Amino acid sequence: MKQRDDWHLTDALNYEHGRGDPFAAAVRATRMPMVITDPAQDDNPIVFCNVAFQKLSGYDRSEIIGRNCRFLQGPQTDPEAVAKVRAAIEEGHDIDIDLLNYRKDGSTFWNALYLSPVRDNDGKIRFFFASQLDVTDRVEAQEIVDQQKKLVEQEVERRTADLRAALEAKTILLHEVDHRVKNNLTMIGSLLRLQVRAIDDPAIATKLDSMLERVDALAVVHRQLYQSSDIAKFDIGSFTENLTHDVVGSSGRTDIAVEVDAQPLFVDAAHASALGLIVNEILFNAIKHGFANGRSGTLSVLVDNGEERGVIKICDDGPGLPSLQRTKSIGTALITRLARQAGAEATWSDNQPGTCVTITFPAKD
Amino acid sequence: MPSDLRVLIVEDEMLLAMDIEALVEDCGHQVSAQVASLDEFEELPSELEPQLAFVDVHLAQGSSGLDVCRRTTARWPRCLVVFLTANVSKIPADYCGGHGVIAKPFSQSGMVTAIDFLADAISCPGVTKPRPAALTASPKFEQMLQVGQA
Repeated sequence: MKQRDDWHLTDALNYEHGRGDPFAAAVRATRMPMVITDPAQDDNPIVFCNVAFQKLSGYDRSEIIGRNCRFLQGPQTDPEAVAKVRAAIEEGHDIDIDLLNYRKDGSTFWNALYLSPVRDNDGKIRFFFASQLDVTDRVEAQEIVDQQKKLVEQEVERRTADLRAALEAKTILLHEVDHRVKNNLTMIGSLLRLQVRAIDDPAIATKLDSMLERVDALAVVHRQLYQSSDIAKFDIGSFTENLTHDVVGSSGRTDIAVEVDAQPLFVDAAHASALGLIVNEILFNAIKHGFANGRSGTLSVLVDNGEERGVIKICDDGPGLPSLQRTKSIGTALITRLARQAGAEATWSDNQPGTCVTITFPAKD
Repeated sequence: MPSDLRVLIVEDEMLLAMDIEALVEDCGHQVSAQVASLDEFEELPSELEPQLAFVDVHLAQGSSGLDVCRRTTARWPRCLVVFLTANVSKIPADYCGGHGVIAKPFSQSGMVTAIDFLADAISCPGVTKPRPAALTASPKFEQMLQVGQA
């Protein structure tokens, strides 16, 4: 083999000779810094270095030959990396590692060291061959990337913390506002109730009672909204069912039978108050007019979540439509106009006997 | 119709206290005392023996209705304690030994139905109306209702 012969040649020429050898010439002239060390000598000194290595390190050949490679190390060189190189030499295998090395002038460079043993025919290590490459740019670029990554991560963390704090503040604020609304609604209800008690004129007291019922309906709507997990939707089905039982129960009218068939029916929370008031209005109309003067009967309530539109149907079996031709009540007007506001439609029909009010409106999916 | 329960009202908002008092009286019961804080509660005589207490969570002088509830059940073990609060989420799972909660803002019809139900539970154990929507019973009270021991 030609290559093996060349090494023999270099060997025979006492390392520094062999000027006529093209391989030796190539090693001398390449831009890749290279050294050869002799482990047979005390402290494994450098026995050959090429021009590129002299340029890289800043030392002359005379300052290099005969010294161990560790003269390139300095205070910032990683002892762990050095230990790995030492172990590779002792164990006789190659190693590829980045080391921080020092030039003659004290400046540093990142050295991508590749070191491998060169064995003779008997497998005995005769030399170590080492090539160096100044990869300072690469390492520094990597360091910059790492630093920037860290900075970005810190910034992201900081911004996330800011946003979290802002969200928390907003949540606290929302709860505070919610709490004030609750307290105010409670106080308005209490004020009205206390006022009603102080009024002697039954006609006025009745009107104020109606106001109180409406405020109460709004309070129930608000309570159901804040207690629900999804504040964007409102279950008018369970609202209607609960209000029916509460209103009939508290009226003390045990002579009114209640039949409720209510499915959950979710509507846009924006329409909750309007629809809540409508249901309240219809229920009280039924009790006051459908079952007026102690007339007993059945109040039936149906909430159906139809295919396309939701339906609330509230029927009494009282005297029927003529009773609705009341003049001074705002109830009917409230129902019609609030229904329109909620995108719904209110219709009255004859229950034979009695009256049915049907609210048809777009349900929210 | 069971009537004439002795009711204790623990509420620091006077307007609400007056309103609750009137509602309780409308239902045929009697308000034996109204206090606004834990300190005022402690001054109540033992012979007051309320059968039902409506307790707000946030009370005067920074005191807590949860403490009032614990003290009530300790002083008068047979008294039913129902929280009346806008802070339903502040009530622990065991209701501090209490029996239920009515969320504020309450409605007149909701309150009346709940008071009637509670009066029934106290006077005629075992024979109860359907649970009113306005009143959430504590697990302990729910169990009492089921075995008819309220």
